Amino acid sequence: MQTKSITFKILDIISVLLLATAVYLALVYAPEELQMGQVQRVFYFHVATAWTALLGFVAAGVAGIVYLVTKDSKWDIVEVSAVEISLVFFFITIVLGSIWARPIWNTWWTWDPRLTTAAVTELIYIAYFMLREGIEDPDRRARFGAVYTVVGSFSAPITFFAIRLFRTIHPVVIGAGDPSALGTFDMTSKMLVAFMFALFTFSVIFVDLFWNRIRMGNLASKVEQLKLSIM
Amino acid sequence: MFILDTPPDTSAYMVAGYVIFFILMILYLISLFIRTRNLNQELTILESMKVQSPSEIERPVAINPPQSAGRDLKRKTAKAKVGRSNRVKKKVIKKK
Amino acid sequence: MATRTTNNLRSKNKQPTLAAASFLKATLAVIWKDLSAELRSREIFSAMLVFSLLVILIFNFALELDIKTRQSATAGVLWVTFAFAGTLGLSRSMAIEKDRGCLDGLLLTPVDRSAIYFGKVISNLVFMLIVEAIVLPIYSFLYNIDLFKPGLLLVILLGSLGYIVVGTLLATMAVQARTRDVLLPILLFPVAIPVLIAAVKASNGYLTDDSLINIMPWMNLLIVYDLVFIAIAYMVFDFLVEE
Repeated sequence: MQTKSITFKILDIISVLLLATAVYLALVYAPEELQMGQVQRVFYFHVATAWTALLGFVAAGVAGIVYLVTKDSKWDIVEVSAVEISLVFFFITIVLGSIWARPIWNTWWTWDPRLTTAAVTELIYIAYFMLREGIEDPDRRARFGAVYTVVGSFSAPITFFAIRLFRTIHPVVIGAGDPSALGTFDMTSKMLVAFMFALFTFSVIFVDLFWNRIRMGNLASKVEQLKLSIM
Repeated sequence: MFILDTPPDTSAYMVAGYVIFFILMILYLISLFIRTRNLNQELTILESMKVQSPSEIERPVAINPPQSAGRDLKRKTAKAKVGRSNRVKKKVIKKK
Repeated sequence: MATRTTNNLRSKNKQPTLAAASFLKATLAVIWKDLSAELRSREIFSAMLVFSLLVILIFNFALELDIKTRQSATAGVLWVTFAFAGTLGLSRSMAIEKDRGCLDGLLLTPVDRSAIYFGKVISNLVFMLIVEAIVLPIYSFLYNIDLFKPGLLLVILLGSLGYIVVGTLLATMAVQARTRDVLLPILLFPVAIPVLIAAVKASNGYLTDDSLINIMPWMNLLIVYDLVFIAIAYMVFDFLVEE
């Protein structure tokens, strides 16, 4: 089919190189953390993917609103791509967080505000794809997707505040239940470098995957329209 | 926690973390690759179908109302280029 | 319902008061249609009621609660029951709307689309409240717990409203999808979690006669949620029913 433009291919390569460097920085360059040991190193990727994913979800919400206003289907493709990649990144966040939590908090999971909101948000966007799967008309699918993204992007922050309220009223003082006690640490300058670099790397990787996914989305849209015109 | 203590050995978790990270990323990339490849295959098939039987397009299509058949549809699909703005006004009346 | 002026460009009426009057009329018409249809067939209502009672029964065996634990679990059990029954009612209500072509008929009228939405919200809310009104005394009777505290009733009202506001919006989408019955719970539950959390916490507060200071944040959350989503629904509903 269409071959990728040079810029695109360069971006692909840059992403891989940045990732390799980020891994090096996180695993070798950054010093070992004193209280948690080596597992702390997953933190660099955990936070980087978290931030990128959340920004991605916001971008998806914006794209949804723009679609509803302009009815231009390219915004629908932007929205789906943003949600899909954010979904993957956020899943990585949750898994890495869980792996980090196990030795530190002695549990794979805890129902604190951040984790619960994370789980709920992830479910909202999985539901988003199930919604889209169930609708055959592309125009309607795009509209409903956009509306659901708007609804979801309001619900997620409200969920966060609801649960934070919960924890404020009933402070949980069960051993490893307070995440701000066990798991915070001050970053040395080397750690900061690894951290900021990881953040930057994942932003670039997000953009690269985003671009690829949009390209695929355009292809899918073309195929669908051909199907509808022929069948 | 005393500073003089050696940090606990949690490297197994660290390894697990990074390994899982790469597995998930690679799985996603594979999924993108496979989906793109399938789409390209479908595209070639569909385009060859279109070339083989252009009369197919003239026939009124079940999901579109009769007045959109034929030339209108051809014009619309020709206009619907990748990436360009897309104002396909279809009245899709689904009857269950 | 709110007799506010609609600034909707689609409204054919130029005068604000006339637009508001027709909005209100349309809303009432939808409510009247749903309630009178339901009075005759009682299909949604009976389904919701029977389902609620069965859920309570299942909880009885699933949780095997002693008297003390039962007290603390009451709020949770009640709200799970209401959530499931509410989903059922919403599904059926929108499905009837779609299958009988009522929705298409309503859309032909030159009325603000949101009037249809608010009409559906109120009729769905009425169904849910009636079911809750029957479930509460039965639960009270079965488990010997006094559930007739005004605070609790207020929580149930606000919580049901929030649930139905979001539920109706999402049901409108779900019913137009292929996987309609499965889809509504999947779409609704994650989004409705703030309502459920706040409702359970507030209900618990009132049931255990907790101080108002502890309960108020949850009530505030319920009110904020209700208002935010009524506003959102008003803005986006048109996009869900256009052809």
